Amino acid sequence: MTYDGIRSGCFDDSWPPVRGDYTVGNPESGVAVVTLASQIRAKGAAISGPCKTENLGIEKIVANVISNCNIRFLLLCGAESKGHLPGNTLLALHRNGLDEQGRIVGSKGAIPFIQNLPPEAVRRFQEQVELINRIGLEDIEKIEELIAEYSRLAQPYPEEPFQVVRRRVAPLPVLFGEGDLILGSGVVMDTSAWLISSEG
Amino acid sequence: MFRFKREQSIVNVAGVKFGGQPGELPTVLCGTIFYQGHKVVQDEERGFFNRAAAEGLVARQAELSEETGCPAVLHLYARSIEAFLRYLDFAEEAWSGPLIIDSADPVTRGAAARLVSELGYADKTIYNSISLGTDEAEAQALKESEIDSVIILAYNPAKPGVDGTLRILETGGSVRENGLIPLARDLGMVNLLIDPGVVPLGNGAGSALRFSVVAKARLGLPVGSGIHNAVSAWPWLRHKEMTTRRCCDAAAAAMQLLSAGDFLLYGPIENADFIFPAAALADILVAEAVRDLDIWPAAGHPLQRLV
Repeated sequence: MTYDGIRSGCFDDSWPPVRGDYTVGNPESGVAVVTLASQIRAKGAAISGPCKTENLGIEKIVANVISNCNIRFLLLCGAESKGHLPGNTLLALHRNGLDEQGRIVGSKGAIPFIQNLPPEAVRRFQEQVELINRIGLEDIEKIEELIAEYSRLAQPYPEEPFQVVRRRVAPLPVLFGEGDLILGSGVVMDTSAWLISSEG
Repeated sequence: MFRFKREQSIVNVAGVKFGGQPGELPTVLCGTIFYQGHKVVQDEERGFFNRAAAEGLVARQAELSEETGCPAVLHLYARSIEAFLRYLDFAEEAWSGPLIIDSADPVTRGAAARLVSELGYADKTIYNSISLGTDEAEAQALKESEIDSVIILAYNPAKPGVDGTLRILETGGSVRENGLIPLARDLGMVNLLIDPGVVPLGNGAGSALRFSVVAKARLGLPVGSGIHNAVSAWPWLRHKEMTTRRCCDAAAAAMQLLSAGDFLLYGPIENADFIFPAAALADILVAEAVRDLDIWPAAGHPLQRLV
């Protein structure tokens, strides 16, 4: 089966833009499913998969959800990943957003930071989707019922898909400082600038 | 290959030495047992497991260590303190070397620090880990324990890359009031092992390699990583044949060692059969490469055992 995302305008042909451990179902469905630490293959969702980390994993979810404006509900189910608490962190992100350092406000996860998403992406996530908190639910039939129920309620978000652009890393200044690493034959490296030089 | 201008400290945990100049000491290889999803575990919460199978894995790691000259550490992962109690009881009988204690749950880690102190294992235990996520309760539990060896996870999600990782160690960067190294010292930690934290390929996994060199040049402390995580989190590789996946694991391990790694958290202990030879090969190549840089391999180095 193929989906004409360009015609619908809710997602483009490259959706989902970020690779990961997920299954793509029907991109025109209004529900995405996060199964946290559980491996559950429920049918009917636009996209579904696990999430075990409270930082990079969540970034991927946000990027893939907001780039498809058909998705209006994000169902959290499955067993919470102990220590990392991505379920708790997703709820906190949606409820509270980020502080100035990129920390997800109110998360109880170990290292709950967002590094690769602009603030507008987080705001879009908060506005576009409603979170359905069923953390702990692993019954596949019940999950599929919820997907069907919320999919019926979903109307596409009335804006263009939001494409997350990866931030560029600022280049290092290329000035040779102290040769703190010796390669022999008069060749040294300055590891702060990552430059190799020949002495004399 | 190269030598560092700065003196490189050597950490000794229960007779196993980490650190030094590249080519000086063999790489310390840490295999994980009882990890999430490990087939030998029957009940992760309570710590029931197939003892005979676990003994076989631990014995194989010890055998490969003896054969290659690369020292080994047993990395215990547990989901709960009840499980830790059973795993430590097992380790006491099956393993004579250093232990790493690890859990995803900070409360369990803190409780494990107290437990190893009560059981008298603290002097051979490495705590994994102090990180940006270490809260006051966990720090206090570690401080009150008798453990003095720790892995410092330098992952800095607010400023990824080599500079951000160094900042989190030295000053805390923009997200902590103090650095993780001063924190570790405050908690009574003497033996510090630095782990940059390896993120998936595409998210900057490679920076762990450059960080390893920079951290040793700047801090003089032993550095290592769980670079196998970059391999296991690579979706493209996941559906390839086992031989292909193992080749990538071994290649990643060797690249970490070429980048001045002193230890490897090499992942599932089942991987010992191909990681130990790969690491021994890398150790020999590095040792040979620095011969004329006035660095001599320590007694028992793979260069002396296998060539």
